[in-house]
Amino acid sequence: MKDFMLIFIGEDYSELGLSPEGMQERMSNWWVWQSKMDKQGICKGGNALHPTGMRLSGSDKVATDMASAELKELVGGYYIVTAENMEGACKIAEDYPDYDIGGTCEVREVMVFDR
Amino acid sequence: MKIEGVVDHLFRHHQGKMISTLTRIYGLSNLGMIEDAIQDTFITAMIHWKNGIPENPEGWLTAASKNRAIDLLRKVKADDNRILKLDNGPSVISLNDMFLPDQIEDSQLRMIFTACHPKLNPKDQIAFALKTIAGFSEKEIGAALLLKYETVKKRLARARKTIQSQEIKFDIPDKKEIGRRIQEVHQVLYLIFNEGFQSTKKDQVVNKDLCGEAMRLCTLLLKKEHLRSGEGYALFGLFCFHAARLDAKVQGEMIIDLKNQDRSKWEKDLIAIGHNAMYQSTKYDVMSRYHIEAAIAAEHTNAKSFEETNWMNILEYHLMLHNSDPTNYSAMNISIVLIQLDRLDEAKIYLDIIDPDKLENRAYLYFGIKAEYHTKLKDLSNAILCYDLALKNVTNQSERNYIEEKRASIEKMK
Repeated sequence: MKDFMLIFIGEDYSELGLSPEGMQERMSNWWVWQSKMDKQGICKGGNALHPTGMRLSGSDKVATDMASAELKELVGGYYIVTAENMEGACKIAEDYPDYDIGGTCEVREVMVFDR
Repeated sequence: MKIEGVVDHLFRHHQGKMISTLTRIYGLSNLGMIEDAIQDTFITAMIHWKNGIPENPEGWLTAASKNRAIDLLRKVKADDNRILKLDNGPSVISLNDMFLPDQIEDSQLRMIFTACHPKLNPKDQIAFALKTIAGFSEKEIGAALLLKYETVKKRLARARKTIQSQEIKFDIPDKKEIGRRIQEVHQVLYLIFNEGFQSTKKDQVVNKDLCGEAMRLCTLLLKKEHLRSGEGYALFGLFCFHAARLDAKVQGEMIIDLKNQDRSKWEKDLIAIGHNAMYQSTKYDVMSRYHIEAAIAAEHTNAKSFEETNWMNILEYHLMLHNSDPTNYSAMNISIVLIQLDRLDEAKIYLDIIDPDKLENRAYLYFGIKAEYHTKLKDLSNAILCYDLALKNVTNQSERNYIEEKRASIEKMK
């Protein structure tokens, strides 16, 4: 078994103008996915990220406030899951619940270094 | 989707509770700011909850809203006397207490009376009530009332403007006024329920939500001793009898009429609650149209089959309604029952009173009834003529299907 990182990229929920009912539904989708993975024991952890932050870049280490920059490609969170191979990991990623609102899920194998 | 530990519609209902609570703190003039603030709390919740549901989700939301309220309190200029009083006044309820269940309910009742204020346009009342008390979004209100998003926005804006210009207070009316004002509230709840029950929308979920909200708000009134009344209980009874039939009314994309509904699908528990409410209503010395309408609905739920319906009782109730407030609709209802009873000459008298032009988008119902009348008289060509007129006037697809099916069955008999 290998570890894979699922990286969730999508627009900020606050920009979507969801109704309270709509938000609860979105949340429920995440919990359904989470509990499904819990049952299978394939999720090793993960976190949601605040939509605010700083981005440092360049040799001058210039820090940009991510909220002020117009960044559509914002990482909203990640999970680390175990799967047989890339195909299996992609299968898991199919359950990511935000595709319908323009979300993207990136599947990346975690590199293992030999000591 | 049902998630363990999280109540259905938690966010929606929480929104309703918090709008009312924060309005009590900041006043009706700050509604816009309040809605934004609650939206912020939900966004925070969504991020925090993704990894797991807190033990007490509702408590979590309430605490977050309270913190947000305190933030706002700091931000909003302290020149508002109301806020100052809340902050310092010894006799006034403290901010903390505002978030206790009893006070939240009190705030919600104030919002109900605000939304149902007689100075608001009746159309605006419903939209405003759904938004501020029930926590519907503009889009959801549009879907529920079959209105364009823009129309909903306009109505909400107009309601807010009226509240400002008429200086409507965020209060529960005093003893002198309460009797009259609560009638307005009942009327609005009745209309919200009917939007859900009479509607022919395919989306059963939306319909059920409307009926559910009307029932929930009605219970909120009945919980308070000084807001209880015979009308209120009768209205709730009426809701229960109708709501019990909601599931049996729709099958796929078809509306099933009373005659063909699977009566085993009617919810017996709701019918029992309805009867209990009616019993409570008899303890008051009033007889309202809700009593009579509930009695009619109860007759239907009591009948084991369509054929066993006690049409004589139902006729009597419809005549009572018609005599106290004669309308095209009350005449139409009487003619339907008379046709059932094969008293066709009398049915004709009532059918002749009705002016189909005044029924507007419901004119098709009138032609449908007339077609039944002609069918009973074995006057099949006139029956078909009436069905054609009905089809010309009907806009809803499932109603159209229903009429077309009826027309086809007459065509076969010819």
